[in-house]
Amino acid sequence: MSEQDNNLNVTRRGLLGATATGAVLATTGVGATLMSAKEASASSNVSLAPGELDDYYGFWSSGQTGELRIMGFPSMRELMRVPVFNRCSATGYGQTNESLKVLTDGLMPETKEFLAKRHEKTYMNGDLHHPHMSFTDGTYDGRYLFMNDKANTRVARVRCDVMKTDKIIEIPNAGDIHGLRPQKFPRTGYVFANGEHEIPLINDGSILDEPDKYVNIFTAIDGDSMEISWQVMVSGNLDNTDCDYQGKYAFSTSYNSEMGMTLPEMTESEMDHVVVFNLKEIEAGIEAGDYQELNGVKVIDGRKGQNKKYTRYVPIPNSPHGVNTAPDQKHVMISGKLSPTVSVIDVTKLDAVFDGADARSCIVAEPELGLGPLHTAFDGKGHAFTTLFLDSQVVKWDIDKALRAYAGEDVDPIMHKTDVQYQPGHNHTSMGETKEADGQWLVSLNKFSKDRFINVGPLKPENEQLLDITDPKMPVVHDGPTFAEPHDVIIVRRDIVNPVNVWDRNDPMWEDARKQAEADGVDLEDTPEEPIRDGNKVRVYMTSQAPTFSMEKFTVKEGDEVTLIITNLDDVDDVTHGVTVSNYGVAMEIGPMATASVTFTADRPGVHWYYCQWFCHALHMEMRGRMLVEPREA
Amino acid sequence: MRWLLPLMALFCSPALAAEWAVPNQAGAIAETLAQAADGDTLRLASGTYSENVVLDRPVVLDGGGVATISGNGTGSVITVTGDEVTITGLTIIGSGSDHQTIDSGIKLTKTAAAPQIVDNILLGNLYGIDAHGAKNSLISGNQIEGRQDHHMNARGNGIYVWNAPGTIVENNTVRWGRDGIFVNSSKNNIFRNNTFRDLRFAVHYMYADNSEVSGNVSIGNHLGYAMMFSTRVRITDNVSLNDRDHGLMMNYANKSVITGNYVKNASGKCTFLYNSHKNDFSGNWFEGCGIGIHFTAGSDDNRMVGNAFVGNRTQVKYVSTKWVEWSEQGRGNYWSDFAAFDVDGNGIADAPYRPNDSMDHVLWTQPAAKLLLGSPAVQLVRWSQSAFPALLPGGVMDSNALMAPVRPAASKKDLQDG
Repeated sequence: MSEQDNNLNVTRRGLLGATATGAVLATTGVGATLMSAKEASASSNVSLAPGELDDYYGFWSSGQTGELRIMGFPSMRELMRVPVFNRCSATGYGQTNESLKVLTDGLMPETKEFLAKRHEKTYMNGDLHHPHMSFTDGTYDGRYLFMNDKANTRVARVRCDVMKTDKIIEIPNAGDIHGLRPQKFPRTGYVFANGEHEIPLINDGSILDEPDKYVNIFTAIDGDSMEISWQVMVSGNLDNTDCDYQGKYAFSTSYNSEMGMTLPEMTESEMDHVVVFNLKEIEAGIEAGDYQELNGVKVIDGRKGQNKKYTRYVPIPNSPHGVNTAPDQKHVMISGKLSPTVSVIDVTKLDAVFDGADARSCIVAEPELGLGPLHTAFDGKGHAFTTLFLDSQVVKWDIDKALRAYAGEDVDPIMHKTDVQYQPGHNHTSMGETKEADGQWLVSLNKFSKDRFINVGPLKPENEQLLDITDPKMPVVHDGPTFAEPHDVIIVRRDIVNPVNVWDRNDPMWEDARKQAEADGVDLEDTPEEPIRDGNKVRVYMTSQAPTFSMEKFTVKEGDEVTLIITNLDDVDDVTHGVTVSNYGVAMEIGPMATASVTFTADRPGVHWYYCQWFCHALHMEMRGRMLVEPREA
Repeated sequence: MRWLLPLMALFCSPALAAEWAVPNQAGAIAETLAQAADGDTLRLASGTYSENVVLDRPVVLDGGGVATISGNGTGSVITVTGDEVTITGLTIIGSGSDHQTIDSGIKLTKTAAAPQIVDNILLGNLYGIDAHGAKNSLISGNQIEGRQDHHMNARGNGIYVWNAPGTIVENNTVRWGRDGIFVNSSKNNIFRNNTFRDLRFAVHYMYADNSEVSGNVSIGNHLGYAMMFSTRVRITDNVSLNDRDHGLMMNYANKSVITGNYVKNASGKCTFLYNSHKNDFSGNWFEGCGIGIHFTAGSDDNRMVGNAFVGNRTQVKYVSTKWVEWSEQGRGNYWSDFAAFDVDGNGIADAPYRPNDSMDHVLWTQPAAKLLLGSPAVQLVRWSQSAFPALLPGGVMDSNALMAPVRPAASKKDLQDG
């Protein structure tokens, strides 16, 4: 059940712009100049008044915090944190049975054994860099968000109808997933994931300090089933990735084509490369059986010198980083990092490269933009915006002029440079990673805030700056501090994202609890008055309806394995309940009309209150009950 | 093999190195090398030798200022893989054009130690000299002219230094091609008294600690000196004239000495200090640029004394919320736009200087206003600004501005200068 209140065709900003433009037309001379000035300031007003809504959703990564964040954009008000790879105290993510199922179902058996030795079920940390939404026909479709975990080599999916993580898979054979992008056309489809760090294909300790035996792995995941479709072994490491708008090719940059292990070794070559993956050829190769199966995954050999049509290696100067496909659906920008250039690939020239043309023949422009180009964003009007890490600037450039300059014409593609504070990494424009780029806003994710905010000690926030790109001078209009450490964001028109307000009782998220209740003969919405005892396992079914839990108390024995299964029957927007068992380290969120469960051992005898920790009602404090734990017979 | 006669007449003792006259014939250099002993000298005759040469042990290859070696458009023309090789007096042309193999006039590989590359002329090779892992190289007195293809970024560097500690690069001239000297991941080197023209960057420098960049001259390049991600570098007495974007750019260059440099007429910035710390930045001259100094990204704990800021459109672009004092022990910097009095005649202005007040802008856009610098109106504007500072926090103050500039010795290399 999706709400329709986000379906606005006219944005607030468009409306204001149009009004001001109308006013300008109605005036003349000096008055017109003044009115234009007014228009610019109106359009760059990012301070929404109380009660006003944002035009866009911003989906923000959080790096080593391991969560996904949802921002209202352009106000950059943080709206929600969605735990993904981290343990969340508020929601119980990482402790509830439902979240543990998400976190552990996709782990490899070897990883489960490794964690069991530490008395853990899941990793406690993650490094979430790149959140990207599923596509249909070249634009966001509001189904899912996909994201990587560089720390523990995982890929996660968040359901956009409820904004909760629903699948996490560990990627076998690969070392530390970095770049990640969904297929744009015809739909997602594949989710492409880069293994960044070089490791032996079989990493069991039989090969250690022999870097010449290390490989890197490119993975294609089926975004619908979250199963791995295939992997490709490549030469050089893999950094960022993107794909075309035709469904034919994917691209990954490599900053270590040398396969070096030290900084000098990694910088030895003048040229590194971008790997182009030919999806149809890889699928044909898999079909023809040209693969080895490893940890249950089909791995194709796409390394240099294999003379296969799976991959091509396009030389790019010098440690390239970002890959961004333009909304013109034709050009792919490879940002040079240590080279002051962006190399532009024309995707229509790639068929020829796979047929044997020189690999560089697909490069149709290579503008020199400034020092340290990292990532490129687009306005859908033929302009590109590249972050310059070392110059600490965003440079706006004209794609067509860059092509003409490369062809020999004497034109300068650079249009404007704006200073940002300080050291920009990723940048993003509103809808800029789709064919519907709308040229309204650009956000620059700066790695250092230094002196931009009042001092909070040695650990400082990042600084995410908002630039108004409807203004040719693209001024910075907002400084946004964030905690560790967003790497990448997407900015999605709000009509595309339509989450529910209340859970559907048939939601698969608590399928295990539903089955258990059936087996116990329990109706989750009309629970029994006493716990169900099954040996030393005790299942406590409750409903919560402000301001009471359906059980005022329950009694268990010391050493019992207790499972609380609670259903929130408040069918009302924004009435989330929770349950916290005091002095037991147990707490979880229960959304409206959701069921959530948590299992623990009653190791501590005595009276333990459980209470609702999510404010719900005038008598929220009274919403509590007692768990009575009888001491074990001595 | 008839022609292969060592010139033994002068060197009878076997303990002494032999000299070989290498005739101008196909494969003659390789064949002579096969015969020569370690330490021998190969003298080339006048004319062009078409041969890709590999020097794998101690020899001297001497072109006498008359011989040319051509790689005929393939690979590197001369590759040095052995120890203590000397290459001198040669003209070297015709390298290949592959960036992946870094096709060069002379390539010094990881296995080469202490090669001496002296007084050669390298013309039109993709890269001039590539010190690629060779320790303790000497690259001196060479004249390098790179390519002039339409795509500057597709050209190669004049001198490329990667992981070659102990290398000295001095008295070379580099023109055309891409970067004059590109240094990446290489420590303990010296780059001095080289001249660069018509390039992308004169010196493009990163991950190169404990080195010296001194006495170089950069004219008309996109950027003069880009000094990045390096610690303890001595950047002294360099000249940048008419470079486009930056004269001297420092990005995370720390604990370094930057003195006596002379930057003039960069249309962008004379100098850019970005996230650079604990540097001694003194006695430099910055003149006639769009911005005299751009100081930002939390650059901290730098000693900024005795510099001259002369007629830059914006003298200081300071982006920070911190306040800094740019003087030390009663001595600051010279500011050409500062209309100050020195009543006590001690050479130090009687009032503190705050760069980038609104008068800067007036003076740039209306040069005639300089005539009014001492006028009561201008003094009033300045007084108002000092009494009511700008609303945003942070700024530069020089409490002891110098009344006269100190011209660094390197300015003598500015031949345009009157």
